[in-house]
Amino acid sequence: MSHEAAARDTANTPDDAGQRPVPFRGGGFVHRPLGPVAPVVFLAILALWELGSRSGFISPIALPAPSAAFAALADLFKTGMLWKHLGASLYRLALGWTLGSLLGIAVGLAVGLFSLARAGLLPLVSALFPVPKIALLPLFIIWFGIGEGSKVATILFGTFFPTVIATYAGVDNVDRGLIRMGQSFGLGWLSIVRKIIVPGAMPAILSGFRISASIAIVLLVAAEMIGAEFGIGAYILMAGALFALDQLIAGVALLSVLGLVIAWLIGKLEKRLLSWRM
Amino acid sequence: MQLTLHDISHRYGGTTVLDGVSLTVDDGEIVCIVGPSGCGKSTLLRIAGGLEKPDGGAALLSGAAPEGSLNPLTYIFQDFALLPWRTVEGNVSLVLEDHGIAASERAAIIADVLSRTNLSDFARALPRQLSGGMKQRVAIARALAVKPAILLMDEPLSALDSQTRELLMDDLVALWSRERFSACYVTHNLNEAVRLGRRIIVLSRRPGRIRDVVEIDMPLAERVDRLAELELLQRRVWDIMREEAREADREISDVA
Amino acid sequence: MHTFSRRTFGALVFAGATAIAANAYAADKIHVGILSLASHSPSIIAEAKGYFSEQDLEVEFVSFQAAQPMAVAIASGDVDFGMTAISGGLISLADKGVVKVIGGALQETPEIEGQKILVSKAAHDDGVTAPAALKGRSFGITTTGSSFHYMAHKIADKEGFARSEIHVKPLQKVPAVIASLKSGQIDAWSIVPNIADGLTKGPEVIEIGKISDYIDNYQVTTVFTSTKNTEEKPQLVKRFLAGLSKGIADYNAALVDKTMSEEETAAIVAMIHKYVYSDQPLEKADPRIRAGAMRINENAALSLASVEDQLEWFKSESLAPATATMDKLVDASFVETR
Repeated sequence: MSHEAAARDTANTPDDAGQRPVPFRGGGFVHRPLGPVAPVVFLAILALWELGSRSGFISPIALPAPSAAFAALADLFKTGMLWKHLGASLYRLALGWTLGSLLGIAVGLAVGLFSLARAGLLPLVSALFPVPKIALLPLFIIWFGIGEGSKVATILFGTFFPTVIATYAGVDNVDRGLIRMGQSFGLGWLSIVRKIIVPGAMPAILSGFRISASIAIVLLVAAEMIGAEFGIGAYILMAGALFALDQLIAGVALLSVLGLVIAWLIGKLEKRLLSWRM
Repeated sequence: MQLTLHDISHRYGGTTVLDGVSLTVDDGEIVCIVGPSGCGKSTLLRIAGGLEKPDGGAALLSGAAPEGSLNPLTYIFQDFALLPWRTVEGNVSLVLEDHGIAASERAAIIADVLSRTNLSDFARALPRQLSGGMKQRVAIARALAVKPAILLMDEPLSALDSQTRELLMDDLVALWSRERFSACYVTHNLNEAVRLGRRIIVLSRRPGRIRDVVEIDMPLAERVDRLAELELLQRRVWDIMREEAREADREISDVA
Repeated sequence: MHTFSRRTFGALVFAGATAIAANAYAADKIHVGILSLASHSPSIIAEAKGYFSEQDLEVEFVSFQAAQPMAVAIASGDVDFGMTAISGGLISLADKGVVKVIGGALQETPEIEGQKILVSKAAHDDGVTAPAALKGRSFGITTTGSSFHYMAHKIADKEGFARSEIHVKPLQKVPAVIASLKSGQIDAWSIVPNIADGLTKGPEVIEIGKISDYIDNYQVTTVFTSTKNTEEKPQLVKRFLAGLSKGIADYNAALVDKTMSEEETAAIVAMIHKYVYSDQPLEKADPRIRAGAMRINENAALSLASVEDQLEWFKSESLAPATATMDKLVDASFVETR
């Protein structure tokens, strides 16, 4: 008892006998969630930008004022063209991305599961993945026409390859121990694929979705270069051709919002499908 | 049902890991296999369960499987091998789904094995929510669900802390007293071996050969109260193994 | 817009605020933007024959793939003079007060073969044998607000059907339009004779009319420069136009009126070949350069009426700011206007 008390005493009086606190060396290197920083930064940049434009510091040829871009957006909304452009783009995105992802998952699973498919397809996928799909546009026009075909095809091809790679990498990363467990309990091949390999590859496939969705949006502008009357990409291209920078910025903002919404949706999907992880 | 390993030899690349190993697991008997690391214990177990083909010799079964056994040779893995995206009951359900059992019957089997392993309250929990000991209980429940004839246990308690290991050993003993399952139990932990084994097979270092067999006649249920006697047995096994373990430790391993 | 470099961007950002006096470039070195098209030959000839040197100008050519980036480069000051069709982008930049049309170049004239209206074989078989039948048909254009767009609508106007009944298909680049027309993915297109003649030689494309029937004295391309040049260096602009005019005269004499000797003409073709069809050997490029040369206005004279008609069309289609005016677009003080 007395020993303890003494210890406490000395701890409370650090000056005695030259004692001092151990210097603190921890902390840092940890991200704290800081709620509203992003919107504040965003609004501050917008305000600075507007101020620069109003004062003439930023030439209107270099960048239109945010208010001008907002006015262009408002015009789009008022004339109802917004929905026409959005509708056309969303249709192409949805169709191209869905088909590209489904095909990509199918081929990715084949590459992940069958040696023959891996030997035959993987070099092909690796060779075609880095080809800019924009370079293939003239071919797509001949193959798929200047209607919706070539636009959907551009997005499909753009999303197909990253999905293949994400899927087969996901399959490769499935815990071999789980597969062995399945075999040891006499599960059928299809059961192992369906119940062990596909769910096990799902995190990789979903993060592949994030990438392929972004690529799809990037390719939207390229896809709508050809014969598109409506679509956000076509609107941006038209604004560029007319040097209507306010419309250009408005269109780019629409693409950003689209990207954010899609990222949010994929986040929701991840939460649903991967709730077992965290 | 009886499992016989006859003159098993196996090589990985140029290295012989098993050399002429023969042993038999009789009905209702727990056979422990111990040996220094790298002696091919786990390989032997994989061969016993048909997950790997031996280069020489054969794994043989004799006698009929008990009635209703869905998977006579059933493993319990060191890393539990639970699907992290399935709940406890989902993990048990997995091994029943391919057998064309009606959903209601399946639910009954699941409820039964979970109650036998005291897991009923955790049926809907995900593996990440469970401790290591609970996870291995789930794996045991899963194994019981297919009514195995012989359990092939690959270091089932090695990933657990020592207190949990004690608890699970008690569980296994209780389970064995009720079900009288036969098992081939691979471990590097001599204490587990003397607590659970009817026979302890000591393998030499690589290439694994049978160095010695220690028989323990003491009934499983009594062993927890006769630890002093077991301590002596454990010493005996260790004396057999010590030199092998020392040599194995000094070897540069090229086999995983 | 790949030519819109970071440096350019920086320069633009600060242009408004600091307005650094632009005596940056050496004595009288100028940059002239060109496209690899025969219609840009006068600048090439003037440079090769030393007409610009006579004016004490040192010319450096900057090649572009399309008219739009050239207009932007002139606005930014990277290029001093250019020659392209009047486009929505050009008018938009003029409205912002940074570029000005200072002269005319290619113009449709009744006596010289001009731009042609072409249709695909499939459309022709389907009964599109005259421009009147283009109602309800697709028409290839490069971009919204390009000269092709204008021509399509002028055809609709004169044939008396709504502009929306001719379906314009933006395809970005001339080769894409050609590919689409040949494969029948679009029904119709209009283009300068040297390209049109090459296409109609094959079975896939058929000529059904002339643009000159639909647009009077169409001023197809114009010469333009930055507003800064017109205001701060009018003498430089005049000297450029003087050199260019001599190049124009040679071009017309050699390839349009064909009053030059064969020897001189061949020399001129060789000069042009350095920039136009340069990926082909001279023997192959020679006939292509000579074929279907269109007149370029002497002394870079400018048809104000045609420019105004085009401006009005852009505004009516909301392809140019409503605030754009002829005064903002054109500085008519340098050349003869008609």
